[in-house]
Amino acid sequence: MAGLTAPWRLLGIAAPMAVWALHFVAAYGLQGLACARGWDRQAASATLLALAVPALVAVAWLGLRAWRTARAEREDRAAGRRRRFAALATALLSLLAAGAMVFTTVPVALLPPCA
Amino acid sequence: MSARAGTGSHRQGRERLARIWGNRPGWAGQLAAVNHGTVALRFIATGFGFMLAGGLLAMFIRLQLAWPGNRVLDAERYAQFVTMHGTTMMFLFAVPVMEGFAMYLLPKMLGARDLPLPRLGAFGYWCYLFGGLFLYAGLLSGAAPDGGWFMYVPLTDATFSPGRGADFWLVGVTFAEISAVAAAVELIVAVLVTRAPGMDIRRMPLFAWAVLVTAFMIAFGFPPLILGSILLEMQRAFGFVFFDVARGGDPLLWQHLFWLFGHPEVYIIFLPAAGVVSMVLPTFARRPMVGHLWIVLALVATGFLSFGLWVHHMFAVGIPLLALAFFSAASMAVAVPTGIQVFAWIATLWSGRPWLRLPMLHVLGFFFVFVLGGLTGVMLALVPFDWQAHDTHFVVAHLHYVLIGGLMFPLFAGLYYWLPLASGRMPSERLGRAAFWLVFAGFHLTFVPMHLTGLRGMPRRAHDYPAVLGVEWLNLLSTAGGFVLAAGTLAILLDAGLCFAAGRRARANPWRAGTLEWALPHPVPAYNFASVPEVQDRYPLWCDRTLAARSRCTDGLLGRAPDGRRELLGTGILDAAPEQVIRISHSTLLPLLAALAVAAVLACFLAKWYLASLLLLAPLLVLLLRWAWTTGDPQAPATVEAGPGLRLPTQYACRNAPGWWALVVTLLIDGSLFASLVFAYFYLWLGAEAWPPAGAGTAGGMAWLALLPLAACGLAAALAMRALAHGPGAAKWTLLAAAAAGALFLGLHLPAVAAATAAPEAHAYASVVWTLAGFHAVHVGVAIVLGLYAAARLRRGLASAARPLEVRVAAAFWGYVAGQGAVTWGVVHLFPEVA
Repeated sequence: MAGLTAPWRLLGIAAPMAVWALHFVAAYGLQGLACARGWDRQAASATLLALAVPALVAVAWLGLRAWRTARAEREDRAAGRRRRFAALATALLSLLAAGAMVFTTVPVALLPPCA
Repeated sequence: MSARAGTGSHRQGRERLARIWGNRPGWAGQLAAVNHGTVALRFIATGFGFMLAGGLLAMFIRLQLAWPGNRVLDAERYAQFVTMHGTTMMFLFAVPVMEGFAMYLLPKMLGARDLPLPRLGAFGYWCYLFGGLFLYAGLLSGAAPDGGWFMYVPLTDATFSPGRGADFWLVGVTFAEISAVAAAVELIVAVLVTRAPGMDIRRMPLFAWAVLVTAFMIAFGFPPLILGSILLEMQRAFGFVFFDVARGGDPLLWQHLFWLFGHPEVYIIFLPAAGVVSMVLPTFARRPMVGHLWIVLALVATGFLSFGLWVHHMFAVGIPLLALAFFSAASMAVAVPTGIQVFAWIATLWSGRPWLRLPMLHVLGFFFVFVLGGLTGVMLALVPFDWQAHDTHFVVAHLHYVLIGGLMFPLFAGLYYWLPLASGRMPSERLGRAAFWLVFAGFHLTFVPMHLTGLRGMPRRAHDYPAVLGVEWLNLLSTAGGFVLAAGTLAILLDAGLCFAAGRRARANPWRAGTLEWALPHPVPAYNFASVPEVQDRYPLWCDRTLAARSRCTDGLLGRAPDGRRELLGTGILDAAPEQVIRISHSTLLPLLAALAVAAVLACFLAKWYLASLLLLAPLLVLLLRWAWTTGDPQAPATVEAGPGLRLPTQYACRNAPGWWALVVTLLIDGSLFASLVFAYFYLWLGAEAWPPAGAGTAGGMAWLALLPLAACGLAAALAMRALAHGPGAAKWTLLAAAAAGALFLGLHLPAVAAATAAPEAHAYASVVWTLAGFHAVHVGVAIVLGLYAAARLRRGLASAARPLEVRVAAAFWGYVAGQGAVTWGVVHLFPEVA
């Protein structure tokens, strides 16, 4: 099944950003739903804040796993260097994705959901 | 060239390769050409042709705005010219010209002979050309679109734009977009499976990374617009309701769909340009790129973040503040990866020994202009500032800084950089420098004053402005600058043209670059490399001085072509180890004929001859089937000799076959189209008072019954490959059973929808439900045809357990269609009950 897993290992580099995208869509969709259906203001804000938790956990997990792989891989063989490259890219992207998610979430704490 | 490469047998071998790979002689041969070099140069030349047309329109716009009260264009013409200028530059210039660059350069950079799906590339070109001609036919026949390049409803619906102009736009642009999504499929497959042996993901050139990310962005970003265009055309032509408030529609749905495409579009244009910069810069800094890994991750991050920006085009439409803050945050976050790239470029220059030649001059111009555009972009990402500057010329200035800075300057850098490769001659340094300064000075003269006129409140898209604003001198300056910019652009194109005719002969690798395309002799032979090179480094030519000479000998990988077929070497996705020989198609008229058939279908549609349009689908289908039947080398053996002592399977027997990955990417694109439609459904639901509106029924027994054949389709899809292991007969019957189940599903489901739903003209609910059901029905139809096709291949012995490609593709498509059907069914029948 090497042929099946290989591209997903390549595209796996983008996994943290995919989590960011899911969180973004979920936050925007939930906000739209909450306003259109007239949810309670506190509940809406709390739900939106809570949404960030699983997303951040997922990104942290991806990032830490990739970071460990990057540190464990040896540089003396081509396959090791290749995996280290992919793992480092994933780890750094996790950092970026986490930053972007925090960036998206901060306004939830500062602004009313539907004004 | 080494003495070895010049010996007789190698020369004969190269002549043989040239015969196999060359286009056929004469006009007919040109029309049938599918070679990536030929097709890509057509993309580039046509792109620049449309740029001149769009630029001419811009000159009229500037003349009209030169002074208040001018009468160069009346309001109507002005609206048409602004619309066509934007549409031309975005759809007919920026995207295709970058595709052209990618199609031309990628195989050469990756060490491949050609792109893996040459007919698709040729088909894309004809679609692009015909789509562009459709649009300009509208302009010249007096039915020009005039609703702005973003075509906002309700301005563009049948009530407020009753003529054919909007139809020409919707049909023409969608036609041209076929080429963008086709290119996305082709480029992704090329990067994944046709890299030279040894070019693993660490050694892949940054341009290839940029193209890979961009192609995925096209795959996700273009479908929302294609869907929006289809919905709007259905509303205009058949009275469906999507954007009409009175019957439950919502005009903002159009804006969402448009900008869901429109903002990633900016980065779809910018990322390949950034890739060009990352190729040019190391050569002229004379050192490897600093922070290679950082640039890769910046490209990937930009690819995602740029999808989170679309609402920043809609800050003024009345969306709640918190939602705006989400998009404001993402708009600022995207500056981070872009900043990473800029710093990596600066660091490379800083630590290298810069060599200021023409391409480098344009890269410096790019830095200066693009960073300024980025800064005004951060300003506009702030909601309060955007409210102030919205719809003024400040935004016009910003977007031209970003697009001309982010696209034109890197494009010109790339043009000058790779001109010696395409022409075998050097561009003129003197004329080139003069032209650069004309463009650079003209650009700033045009657009710096626009920031000020915008801040003073001069509106966009208006053909006149009041003298009290006090901006007439600034506008006159803009107009003068615009003509300087135009003169500079013409000078660059003239320089490029002259280079082909009269340039000084270039020696091999004139810029002393490190990447693989410069190993090629120039002008480049149609087969690129006589032997597929093997790569040990990111900059193979810098570390291996004999690589160029060896790749011109015919004793290496794929050097011999014993069967006289066009062959590519397919390599592993991560490690780039050789794993298949891909036999691709020779010259053929099929792409041109297929594009002509599409043009005929769409022309009849525009003329409102709907029946003729429907009937013309038959010849199109025949052509496409003929295309599929003859593609590649149907008679290819299961394994062939790829080089001395190396036997490899042909693609029909390989897991990573290009056809397989083409299907995967096509399904991503189609999935994005489907997701956009589902988004439209829920968006309309969110804004509706009653859903379904009073009078609409709910799912009856027939709808539930339809689930059975749908499940049978999914089952057949899951079992087809296992059946193939038992023998071709079993697989054939599985596919035939799937076709029968699919037909039964349609026979049950469509009447069930008809019984439960009113006519589509009645209400947005009915329209979107009918569209969902119809969308899926079309897919079932395609799956039936595809399954029957694979069954026919099995019958003829062209597919078998040893060559499973066609059956794999048909089975996967059936699986996708069954899954899509399940979602459609749930949304159409189940959701209204739950909600």
